[in-house]
Amino acid sequence: MTNVYVMEKIPEKIIIPLKQHDGCLCTPLVSKGDMVAMGQKIGECECYDSASVHSSVCGEVISIEETANPNGSKVNSIIIQPAEAVECVDLTPVKDVSASKLVDVIKDAGIVEHYGTPTHKVLRPEGKQIDTVLINATSSEWIGGHYDTSAQYASQMIDALKLLMKAAGASKGAVVLRNDDLESINAFDHLRVDGKLLTVAPLMGKRKLSYYFKNMGSDIIVVSQERIYGQKILDLLTYNLTGRRVSFCCDPTDVGVAICGVKSAKALYDAVHEGRPYIETVVSVSGKVNSPKKILVKIGTPFKDVIDACGGYMGDTGKLIANGAVTGVAQYTDDVPVTKMTTSITVLSADEVIRDVSIDCTHCARCVDVCPVNLIPSRITAFADQGRFDECRQMNILNCVECGRCSAVCPSKIHLLQLIRYAKNSIENAYEDLSSKESPANLKLGCGCSGGK
Amino acid sequence: MTFTISAPPHKKENITFKKIMWAKVLALMPAVLLSVYLFGLPAIGLVAASIFAAIATEAAIQKAFGQKITIADGHAVLIGLMVAMIIPPEVPLWIPMIGTVFAVGIGKHAFGGIGSYVFNPVLAAWLFLSLAWGSIMAPASYPQTSALFELVLENGAGVMAGVSPFFILLAGAVLIFRRYIEWRIPVAFFVTTVLLAFLLGDSLSYVVLGVVVFGVLFIATDTSTSPTTKNGRVIYGIVCGVLVVVYGHFANYVDGTFYGLFLANCVASLIDNNTLPASYGTETFLQCKYRSIVSKIPFKDRLEVFLDD
Ligand code: SF4
Ligand code: SF4
Repeated sequence: MTNVYVMEKIPEKIIIPLKQHDGCLCTPLVSKGDMVAMGQKIGECECYDSASVHSSVCGEVISIEETANPNGSKVNSIIIQPAEAVECVDLTPVKDVSASKLVDVIKDAGIVEHYGTPTHKVLRPEGKQIDTVLINATSSEWIGGHYDTSAQYASQMIDALKLLMKAAGASKGAVVLRNDDLESINAFDHLRVDGKLLTVAPLMGKRKLSYYFKNMGSDIIVVSQERIYGQKILDLLTYNLTGRRVSFCCDPTDVGVAICGVKSAKALYDAVHEGRPYIETVVSVSGKVNSPKKILVKIGTPFKDVIDACGGYMGDTGKLIANGAVTGVAQYTDDVPVTKMTTSITVLSADEVIRDVSIDCTHCARCVDVCPVNLIPSRITAFADQGRFDECRQMNILNCVECGRCSAVCPSKIHLLQLIRYAKNSIENAYEDLSSKESPANLKLGCGCSGGK
Repeated sequence: MTFTISAPPHKKENITFKKIMWAKVLALMPAVLLSVYLFGLPAIGLVAASIFAAIATEAAIQKAFGQKITIADGHAVLIGLMVAMIIPPEVPLWIPMIGTVFAVGIGKHAFGGIGSYVFNPVLAAWLFLSLAWGSIMAPASYPQTSALFELVLENGAGVMAGVSPFFILLAGAVLIFRRYIEWRIPVAFFVTTVLLAFLLGDSLSYVVLGVVVFGVLFIATDTSTSPTTKNGRVIYGIVCGVLVVVYGHFANYVDGTFYGLFLANCVASLIDNNTLPASYGTETFLQCKYRSIVSKIPFKDRLEVFLDD
């Protein structure tokens, strides 16, 4: 069991961005000078695609202003100066609630997937029906919370999965582990769910989840598969697990699949069993810090304080990266807060910073060999570079999971990932106003996904 | 505290074009040393003249067109070395020099430099020299591997590339192991060649030659002139194999290798364009047929366990 440390020291200030998800900004419920308690709701969501935010400490609101956010932009945030006293709002567990009430609980607790979508929107997308809920525990930062034993982790995950299924009204659910993560596989093996013994099934060949559901005669299963990583893995994950293709402009909910992370599952478990909103999260700190570790911090803690809690910087610091050493976002300041979307912090030393000059592509095909979704990155980037986005699309650029492997192996040091992202963004922007273009013409250009059917 | 910001990925492999080129030059060194032993000092002169001409041409062209001078990346050196290795060592020194000037000037730079040329510059130079000075370029002897020992030191070798199939193979294996060169092309090539030569009744002792091994490991795998798709590279290897055997069967396997590979270069991009991979989750033709047949079977509920969905 990987040890998770708890950050005891309360930082000097806590920065709570009013937007810790993809969607609209929350409306602040407090103003400068107010005292807030721990767990108090300080930002209310007004539209469906946003999630509330809560204060993670007890203290005084010293300002509400735009501050740097780990995603690289500036976001209106509430800055709180923690007080000596620890005052906490009453936490009331909400057991045995109806499915629709559960969705409200999720929304009120401000639970957000680490990829940005609020969890209630994943489970209850407007106008779509979810039939399968997946908990993706394949990433390296799988630890979502603080558990005493790995068995506790496993049983909490199964309970959380049941809650998620209930909230979504889905009949089937699966936890997806990583093949080489023996610890969790052992923890899940021989666990009893509703009297039935659970076995972790490795995904083999072309078999999909439906086969395993049938084979094991159970609606809740645990499977394991190869590690997939990247910024946009949801579509690939959906295909690998269920065999359903997610079309362009759609997401897995369009084909009836809700993908949740370990963290949001844990947050839901806490919200239901303890009544606690989503105010703390585990981040793994790695790289050039004096004692790298996984640490439980309050949401809103500045990176600076997290790094201090990990023994401070080691030597000359070159880069500070949020969310993944390979594909994360490099920060320009360490005064950015940990948000609900932060999974890891990596520090690189000054001499690890890469300064490469690209030369021409030599068609060595190394990028082709490493691409997990069978693209020809060299050719796609050549098109992207010339702005020929339609050709990029024909070459399935939208399948790219943005894992960055292609850039990492290129001997010519071409910025493949950057160019691919540029083309993908341009394509997505071009289709942004698709629905408004469709309606006057009474044309249906949309996708082929049919809401889970 | 100042931090550097840049787009991801933040970690990359420590591999550069330069590294790959110099590794190839190094890998050819055992064969060069052996040929000095076999052919004597003229071999050194040949290599030196050829590399010198290659570097000078590259520098002159890049200077003239105001480009960045890239001699240090080792590509010109590699071209020079490889041209020297496929020319008979007895030729006057101006032959390799003209050859490399042609290779670097026309073969490489006229087509747009690294990554853009269509024909391997070394092959282009060999072809040019053979057509222009056929009598000088004909090697003194055509080799045959008659004893196992000849695999290490081929006595009848006419050119430096042919002195030792074993050492060239070893060098290639190391490069493949380090992922500096491609494995699909050589494997597909060897399988095709051995199979075809066997069918045509050509004795393998004419096929397993230093020159053939050199050609497939170092010339056919040249990245700019081979396809990039995975399937494409297998097909390309097969095409190379077929062409080399066709030429070799009717003439000899030394010239056959070069002509065969040169022709294969012509179809490389055609293969590339026709083997673009489909998106994941696309059914192949056979799967499609299989599904349509299975869906017509009555009582297929019972069979459903075998189907995925
Ligand atoms: S790895 Fe780089 S040089 Fe090689 S084919 Fe891909 S883009 Fe071109
Ligand atoms: S194109 Fe590059 S970033 Fe995209 S999936 Fe392939 S290897 Fe990963």
